[in-house]
Amino acid sequence: MFQNRAEALTLALPAATFAALVFVLPVIVLLSGGLHVEGRWTLEAYQRFFADPLNRLVIWRTLELGALVTAAAAVIGYASALAIVDLPAAGKSRMIGLVVLPLMISPVARTYAWLVILGRAGIVNKALMLIGLTDEPVRVLFTQTAVFIGLLQLFLPLMVLSLVSALENMPNDVIPAARVLGANWLQIFVKVVLPLTREGLVTGGTLVFAGSVTAYITPAILGGSKVLTLVTLLYQRVTIANDLVSASVIAFILIVMSFSANLLLNRIATGRSLK
Amino acid sequence: MTMRQPAIVVLGLLVAFLVGPFVVIVAASLSAGDTLAFPPQGFSLRWVAKVFAEQSFRSSFALSMFLAVFATLAALVLGIPASYAMSRYSMPFAEAVRTVVSSPIIVPGIIVGLALLRYLVAPFGINVVVALFLAHTALVLPYCVRVVSASLDNLRSDVEEAAILLGSSRLGAFFRVVLPNIRNGVLAAFILGFVTSFDQVPVSLFLSGPGVQTLPIDMLGYMERTYDPSVAALSSLLAFLSIGIMFVAERFIGFSRYV
Amino acid sequence: MKDRILATAAVLFMAGATAQAQERTLTISVYAFAQDAYAKIVYQPFEKECGCKLVVETGNSAERLTKMEVNKAEPVIDMAVMSMADALSAARQGLVDKVDTSKLSNFVRLYDIAKDPNQDGMSVGYTFYATSIAYRSDKVKITSWNDLLSKQLAGRVALPNITTNQGPPALYMLGLAMGKDTPDLKASIDAVGEHRNDIVTFYNRSSQLVQLMEQDEIWAAPIGRFAWAPLRKLDVPIKWATPKEGQTGGLNVMVVTRGSKNRDLALQLMDFWLSTKVQTDLANALVDSPANKDVEVSPEVAENITYGAETAANVKLIPSAVELANRENWLSEWNAKVQQ
Repeated sequence: MFQNRAEALTLALPAATFAALVFVLPVIVLLSGGLHVEGRWTLEAYQRFFADPLNRLVIWRTLELGALVTAAAAVIGYASALAIVDLPAAGKSRMIGLVVLPLMISPVARTYAWLVILGRAGIVNKALMLIGLTDEPVRVLFTQTAVFIGLLQLFLPLMVLSLVSALENMPNDVIPAARVLGANWLQIFVKVVLPLTREGLVTGGTLVFAGSVTAYITPAILGGSKVLTLVTLLYQRVTIANDLVSASVIAFILIVMSFSANLLLNRIATGRSLK
Repeated sequence: MTMRQPAIVVLGLLVAFLVGPFVVIVAASLSAGDTLAFPPQGFSLRWVAKVFAEQSFRSSFALSMFLAVFATLAALVLGIPASYAMSRYSMPFAEAVRTVVSSPIIVPGIIVGLALLRYLVAPFGINVVVALFLAHTALVLPYCVRVVSASLDNLRSDVEEAAILLGSSRLGAFFRVVLPNIRNGVLAAFILGFVTSFDQVPVSLFLSGPGVQTLPIDMLGYMERTYDPSVAALSSLLAFLSIGIMFVAERFIGFSRYV
Repeated sequence: MKDRILATAAVLFMAGATAQAQERTLTISVYAFAQDAYAKIVYQPFEKECGCKLVVETGNSAERLTKMEVNKAEPVIDMAVMSMADALSAARQGLVDKVDTSKLSNFVRLYDIAKDPNQDGMSVGYTFYATSIAYRSDKVKITSWNDLLSKQLAGRVALPNITTNQGPPALYMLGLAMGKDTPDLKASIDAVGEHRNDIVTFYNRSSQLVQLMEQDEIWAAPIGRFAWAPLRKLDVPIKWATPKEGQTGGLNVMVVTRGSKNRDLALQLMDFWLSTKVQTDLANALVDSPANKDVEVSPEVAENITYGAETAANVKLIPSAVELANRENWLSEWNAKVQQ
């Protein structure tokens, strides 16, 4: 460790200054726009925003989607990760490659693929009708379900990778030990796997929740103007009504959501750790 | 734990769900039909050909490449010294610096785009390409710092200290000892930054202007106007390009160890 | 080594960023569709004629108007096309200048309604269009605007978002069909609100309709005549409705941005766009119905566009001032009843 503080600061300052000027300052100005109406500091803009039932609905829907996607990702993620770590080395790396594959494709492309797949003439509907689950094509596009599916596909790989990493760091003998002591798979999962992989769940969960709540393309294309989320609402208010005050309020809410999710998930993780 | 069959089912469904859309895109791009559809009607390479012929795709691809390369380089130029400072020194305000530099990851892209447009670009009348360059550099910086820091943390400082004891200057030690040893980390950071910049949508959405667009924004706009398979073809080509890069990166520098 | 990289980067960077300033560039802001046809009929021929470069920004009217507001101090675009009402809004915000019609040789050839739509000299009409309903003739039959909310179309209809140019006219006709055609559009908005779960989506751009029809997502939607051409080309049978209440319509206009440095080029483009040849070509391509009264087309083409002196006289246009006065109310009523 070097002790020369002046040197350290000189090295770090360009990056910090750049980030501060180009990024931090404009964002702070944007956020202050919601607190500063007609020359006074006031929470009026926030009051007006929350008073509108449409805005409250959009906030609720955004939170709901984020929570649902995160929960689904956690369940599917654990199931997949547990299956993946059991694979022999070659199969495992190929599987991981397949999980990473979607991340290589532009989100624009992935979302448009869903337009084709989920449409009434798309393969999902064709398959459903073939199995006989339904007589008429089901309307999926422009509903919350479509946005849910799109978001899940976008962020599931992050959760799977995170959990695989956490599971690999788990000591090898805990599960057999628990088995020997007579635990069934549910008890093993809840009392052994979950606590030991909490960090992975937190990391994955935060990424998925923050990502879902702040996504733009997927809700915009799959949800349209029927399923407005905070981000698409913000876009609409800015590009059509030039409403920077609403934008500022929404921005603040989004940042609070991401931060809180992180804090909450962290609390859960460090709450009961088995060391 | 041996649960063969359920495991196979789970993984099968997972792969279908994650990779399915990719298959759809590739298949649709080879369609001989006129619109984006799956299953495709017939086989034809004409949409792939159209991608190369389309003027706006060529110029937005060039812009995206330019930004990805130079913004990442700029981020590395800013980020490597910063990572070095945070890892090798007991630096005052280390936490503050780390937070400021990492902030772009925490704030949603659309807010960044809007804030930059209204409070940096519009008031100062900054040229669109310059604005995009600044924005992409700021967005890539946190990733560069994180990856290079991880690399530096893994490199024991005693080799460097030994070089200095043996008479090398500080700068010399950095270039001759540290840099070569974190070379793979830097490369990994470059690739990560490149991909982040190239696929960036929300910020570029706000900052793009008439005639100046990054490739994803161009694709979005094109899809709104013309619902034909050329965007699918473009996406497939880009996907194969990314996969190729990742494959090479993994082979030569063991990319997955750094991220 | 670091220095060399930096230096090269800086040079390439500067080169890239300043390479734009070689020939004169005219930047225009237009609607998003039929751009291929526009390139062939308007942009490329004009570039040859003026020896300049045309840069085109596309999007829907409201978004582009907002961009103009944002860039008021330093305008990015020289000329724009938009709806009549948006042009009035632009004029009121001081974003545009009077159009010097003395420089437009084709001005005299325009129908009267296109000459000065807002009576302020700030805009010139270049196309007017009828708005009706496009529908799948093999699936449904449309005889009235009320049919949009009928059971036969439940779950198969798309309506324009109230923020688009087609939104208020479509709602107005719906109100007319319901017998309650008040300017506040309350009755029709309420009706749409009641049926909102039966409506697939509220489209923001007419170009979305092509995909929706193609994929069998919808069987009918109100559209303007300018969006008709691509629908005709689909391999499903689509017809243009003639509802008993009649058709509504709109007038799109050209404006020049205040503070633009290429005013002369902008006016030159406007004159070119209004010329009989260009207007005829656009009409034959089924892109835009002509505002130039000297345009002559075949009966088949005429059937698919909004054509002729009689039609021009009968298009029911909502006066811009009325539209602007009611926009806020429409939006809040819409948000309250429909967007829930």
